[in-house]
Amino acid sequence: MKVSVPEKWDMEYDVVVVGWGSAGTVAAVTAHDQGAKVVILEKMADGGGNSSICGGNIIVPKGKEFLEYLYALSFKTTEREILETFVEEALKNGDWIRQMGADVQVFRPLEVAYPTMIAGAGFPHVRGAENVVKYNIKGTPEEGKPSQRLWKFLSGLVSKRGIKVLTATPAQELVPNARGEIIGVIAQREGKRISIKARRGVILTCGGYENDPWMKWDYLPVKPLYFLGTPGNTGDGIRMVQKIGGDIWHMTRLACLIGFKAPEFEAAFWVAFLSEGFLFVDKYGRRFVNEAGIEIHEYYKELSHFDIEKMEYPRIPLWAIFDEQTRRRGPLSRGTAGYNRDLYSWSLDNSVEIAKGWVQQGKTVAELASKISMEPKVLEETLARYNYLSKAGKDEDFGRPREDLRALESPFYAIQLWPSLINTQGGPRRDKESRVLDPDRKPVPRLYAAGELGSIWGFLYQGACNIGEALVFGRIAGKNAAAEKPWS
Amino acid sequence: MRIPMAGKALAEREFIVNATPDRVWRLIGKVIFSVLPGMESMEILDENNFRSLLRVKMMGSEWVLKLKGEMVDISPPESFSVRLLLEGLGGLVKADQKVTLAMTPVEKGKTSVTCRATAEDMGFLQRAFLTRQARMFARETFEAIEKRLKELA
Repeated sequence: MKVSVPEKWDMEYDVVVVGWGSAGTVAAVTAHDQGAKVVILEKMADGGGNSSICGGNIIVPKGKEFLEYLYALSFKTTEREILETFVEEALKNGDWIRQMGADVQVFRPLEVAYPTMIAGAGFPHVRGAENVVKYNIKGTPEEGKPSQRLWKFLSGLVSKRGIKVLTATPAQELVPNARGEIIGVIAQREGKRISIKARRGVILTCGGYENDPWMKWDYLPVKPLYFLGTPGNTGDGIRMVQKIGGDIWHMTRLACLIGFKAPEFEAAFWVAFLSEGFLFVDKYGRRFVNEAGIEIHEYYKELSHFDIEKMEYPRIPLWAIFDEQTRRRGPLSRGTAGYNRDLYSWSLDNSVEIAKGWVQQGKTVAELASKISMEPKVLEETLARYNYLSKAGKDEDFGRPREDLRALESPFYAIQLWPSLINTQGGPRRDKESRVLDPDRKPVPRLYAAGELGSIWGFLYQGACNIGEALVFGRIAGKNAAAEKPWS
Repeated sequence: MRIPMAGKALAEREFIVNATPDRVWRLIGKVIFSVLPGMESMEILDENNFRSLLRVKMMGSEWVLKLKGEMVDISPPESFSVRLLLEGLGGLVKADQKVTLAMTPVEKGKTSVTCRATAEDMGFLQRAFLTRQARMFARETFEAIEKRLKELA
């Protein structure tokens, strides 16, 4: 049911931005700099969303050939002209950041962890991959992790301009008039329903639905999934757009790693290994993949095998099996990214997590198997085979490279892992002007979207493109919304 | 590729690996972290910074030192450096080393790897007591890098 137009509005602005992450900030700043009076509505107590807890890298492609790469990755789920616009504007991302008073540095890590956070293309065999270059906001670790530096920079742009931000104010409804134009937003603030008039336009930048259990169950290809990012992303923008008759797209798309879920924490812990001494097994103790060869955002593809005889996902949860050397190499969850990053500090040698029962330990494979309710004989056979292949230096079963193999020695350890979302990509369908479209592909007047909410990443995801996209379509949405003629 | 000289040279080693520079680059990050002698409990602070504990034998006893490392001058697939800051024994031990690895293509898909360690900052006392340890650490590291790279190449 559509909301009726309030007789009297509680607040009036030119542009109302819903959601205060990267896309919302950039949209608000751009609209403000075009002369619009802007308000940002944020449901959480603070802004930042996934932007403040992600890897913090921003795509700034080397050249226009990047388009061919993205088009191949999109598998035709996103119109070429939208990707063209993205590439043209993404080339300017570095300059925009500099114009706004910060500096950038090229992200060039040595690739030491499994899964690997790579500096370059996630799909290096695809044409145009050499154009992938990631930047982050220049700074030292003492100045924060890249995403913290990013958020400090972006939130600073808002405060410098005095843009009004209403935190703890979830938007609930879009207000259309008789012509179908979106002319305002209904939100909840201090227990009251408030109406905010948008004289020029509304921009939705309120993230995906990775913390909405029903949407996840309906749309995503593996079940269950936990989330690594903000609990604030519950699909609010999607529901608001559906209520006014907007179209949605890319709902089955996700960026998905693996994580450990502790019952006392809302979000999962991203887990990565700092030594080659580990393997993955399914819930029956069978190895199923080249553990070192999975693209970091596409874990769900390896976990989505569904056994129709048993009516289950045998790889969910999976177990990572590792040894003493790997345990001592460093924390399984390193706090690089994720919502739990600032809530818990994983012990350097994983000993605290063993004591908590998060990590299981066994002197023998059989002892470990019994602790994780696995058939000892199966796990023993799996490990014996893995050790044999590792010592031979050739993984005939799954093709894991020699340098990524090491035989395991007693004592053994296991941690239960689940597919864990960085984010979802689905939401309102939009065009290259950031306009939200209806099911006939016509723009919903005065309504825009940017960022993870209905992102343009419809098939395979290239790392650092979500922030890159938030900057690009945040700018476009902010500029276009500010340029709308006031309706009153 | 030539490594520019800076600081006091502690150790240097050059060897040929039967792999292309791209392949050596792919291997080197993982190799270096797996062969540092005595390294325990590594924590990666971000993609270019880490810290760990280093168990070393010194003056007839075993000591645990704090090691902080930063990847600098990363230029794939040609070279990179690791700045290593060592601290321990209640502040008595403090050392700043830079380890540089350079990869140069040679004939038939082979790569020449040059490793060089330099002491960047050491006081008089540090020099007197620690130089020998630092040299030994660097030599052992380079030998282990060579051995592991050749195994994997």
